[in-house]
This record gives sequence, C-alpha cells and structure tokens, in this order.
Amino acid sequence: MIRYHPSIELLTEYSSGSLSLAKAVAVSAHLEHCKECRTQAHKLELVGAELFSDPAIPTSDQQLNQLKTNLLSKITNGEIESSFDKYGQAAPSVRMSKLQSGRPLSSESKYQIPKSLRQLIPSFYDDLKWMSLSPAVKIATLSNEKDGTQVALTRIKAGAFIPSHTHTGDEFTLVLEGAFSDESGVYKKGDFISRDARHKHKPVVTKDAECICLTVTEAPIEFTGWFTRLLNPILRKHHPSTS
Amino acid sequence: MGQTNNDERTPTLLDDMFSVANKRDQAALARLFDHFVPRIRAFCLTAQPGSNLMADDIAQEVLIRIWNKAHTYNPESASLNTWVFTIARNARIDYLRKNGRYQTGIDPDFLWADDEDENADPFREAQQKRDQDTIRASLKQLPSDQRQVLAKVYLEGKTHKETSEELNIPLGTIKSRVRLALNKLTVIIRR
Repeated sequence: MIRYHPSIELLTEYSSGSLSLAKAVAVSAHLEHCKECRTQAHKLELVGAELFSDPAIPTSDQQLNQLKTNLLSKITNGEIESSFDKYGQAAPSVRMSKLQSGRPLSSESKYQIPKSLRQLIPSFYDDLKWMSLSPAVKIATLSNEKDGTQVALTRIKAGAFIPSHTHTGDEFTLVLEGAFSDESGVYKKGDFISRDARHKHKPVVTKDAECICLTVTEAPIEFTGWFTRLLNPILRKHHPSTS
Repeated sequence: MGQTNNDERTPTLLDDMFSVANKRDQAALARLFDHFVPRIRAFCLTAQPGSNLMADDIAQEVLIRIWNKAHTYNPESASLNTWVFTIARNARIDYLRKNGRYQTGIDPDFLWADDEDENADPFREAQQKRDQDTIRASLKQLPSDQRQVLAKVYLEGKTHKETSEELNIPLGTIKSRVRLALNKLTVIIRR
C-alpha cells in the first residue's frame, strides 16, 4: 500500500506538461506504481483538455488555408513521417537483449526497473557507476541537468543509515526497492517523499533488505555530523547545481 | 444551452475520427484540421508568442498522428479533446526539449503516456463525460484570478514558481489559487 504521494501541485504540473523533465522522471516512476495517482493525473488532464478546447477560438481561419492544403496532401500521401512517433512502443529492450546474449543472471534480475527509468538505466542497477559514500551507502548519478537538478540513485545496505543531513534545495525521493524510515514515517516501495531546504533527517533502512531510492535534487544534500561534514565537498563537486 | 451545442458538435468530430480510421476519409481529416489546428496553434503560441514555426510543426505532428493512429483512439478511454490535448502537450514538450528550452539529456517519450487504455469501459466514458461537463461549467464560474493561474500552468506551460515570478505574486498564493480552482472543478480526488 502506497502511503506517500506527489502533491497536487506536482501532479498538476506533470499533467499540464510544465514540470521539468528531471522531476517528471520521479513523478512518472511513481505513477507506474500508483493507480490512485494515475487516476488523479488523468483527471487533471481533463482540465487541460477543456482549456485547450476553448470554443472561443474560431474554427476556420483563412490564414491556415495554405498550411491545410499543403499538409493534408502530404499526410494522406504518406510523404511525411511523425518525428516523435516513439510513444506507445515498448521501452528500450536493452535489458532483454542483455539477457538473451547469455549474460549470467545476477541476483539483480529480481529487480524490475520502472519503464520511465530504463532510458537512464539501460541494463541492471549493478552495471551503473556507483560511488561509495561509506561502506553501506552508494550513489549513482543518472543525469545532471543544465538547470542544476540531479537525478540519481542511492543504494543503502539493509539496516544501515544515511548520516544526519539537511537539504539545501527541494528533493524528491521515490523508493524503488526495500524500505527506510525517518522521524516522520516508514517509506516503502512506490512511496514518493518531498523534502525542502528546511528539512533535516537521518533515514534508516529496514533490516530485511537493501534499499534503492531514486532521488531528484535541486542542490546537494549537506551532512551535519562532525565527521560526515567532510563528505560535503565531494557531494558538491558531483552535483550539477554547483559545478 | 451551451451543452446542446456541444452534443451536436462532438458526434461529428467523432464520426470524422471513425471515417479517418476506417475509410481513410480525407474530407473528414480536413474537418478535424479545421477544428483542432487553430486550437493547437493557440496552445503553442500562448507558450511561445510569435513562434509560428513551432505552432505549425506541432500542428503537423498532431495531424499526422490523427491520420496514422485514428484506429487506436478509443472513446471509452478518453474524450477526443483529451486525446488531442495530450498529443499536443507531448509534442510541445518534445519540441521544447529538442530546441533547447529544457537543456536536458532526458527523453520525455517514456515519461508522458499519450492515453491510457487502462479500464476503458462504457461506464468510464459516461463518468468522464460528466466530469468534463462539470469542469466546463465550473470553468465559466471561476474568479478571473483563479482562471488566470490555471491558464498560465496549462496553456502557457509554466510551473507554479514561474507563474509566481511572472505575476509577481507569492508562490504560496499561486499554489492556493490553483488548488481552490481545482477544488471548484471537483477534480481533486483525495486529501
């Protein structure tokens, strides 16, 4: 049962198409897990559809006649192809081809990578370039956006914790595998957590399994402990908002 | 009554969709052009004023898609307006990414589904029609400040933050206006 969802503001921005692509990665990966939010997003699309279909717009416009004549004959003669007609097809099948090419099945193949992440994770979680923050915590960068947002995965061993830290900008976390908890609650697979710059917390992973989370951050997190502070320059160095 | 008009209009466009799908009817495609292309262009021009090139490009994409995919359109899953809106929205996201506004390595194609066929059924069709009638009627009643922010987000493609900066109104006020508006349109299903 998913208990934590994106806010109505985020879903509105997603449905209207105004959400940045980095944030849309997290929202759409959550939607794959959450039927309730898919229904909500669809309802929000109806608002866009109504505004879009404003009856005040005149249906025939002399200026458009040239475009009309030109376009319709080309389309019906099959002379132009859609340039974005990739929708609706299966996501890249890199994963399948790897399996078929005889690559030994690792323990990882038990994980299903969400469709919206497959363009960023072409094969297995294990094949990503992981950077160790501590023996129990690893981070893999998936995309550094020009606006300074970073899309990354955090992978934490069972029972381990991420040292106490604050967020210096907005952060979204989606639990992909396993579970963790902090002062505010327990978060399981599919849960979507929003944190802002004021928030300080110390997440602990449950003892039964490792935890893999997708994170979308506008700025690097900052560790607040005496020793862990030493990691902050490394995090800053790898975050696109500060480079 | 506005609704009578709409009832007369919708079946015609739907008929045209089926004629395109089943009979490859070019006159039907021309009527769909007349109805949708001015709306698609307005949708693009409000986001990028003066960008006629983008507007024509996106209109072209949507029309190609109507011609090639009319047979996949299922009225039990989404109204025609919604189907066309989501295609235009996705084409606009794609265009803006390719032309630098988003500056990103992320491909939006797998992040926004065109239309979900999930649970398509006649009951859902009737429910959606009721939802849309409610939304249409309530939009007319919205105070202008609420309608303005909805238009910024949906038509201009602005985030709440961008809307707040552009109108020089605090972000919290923008968020609450959007939320109030969505409440009046009865589209919020939880919380």
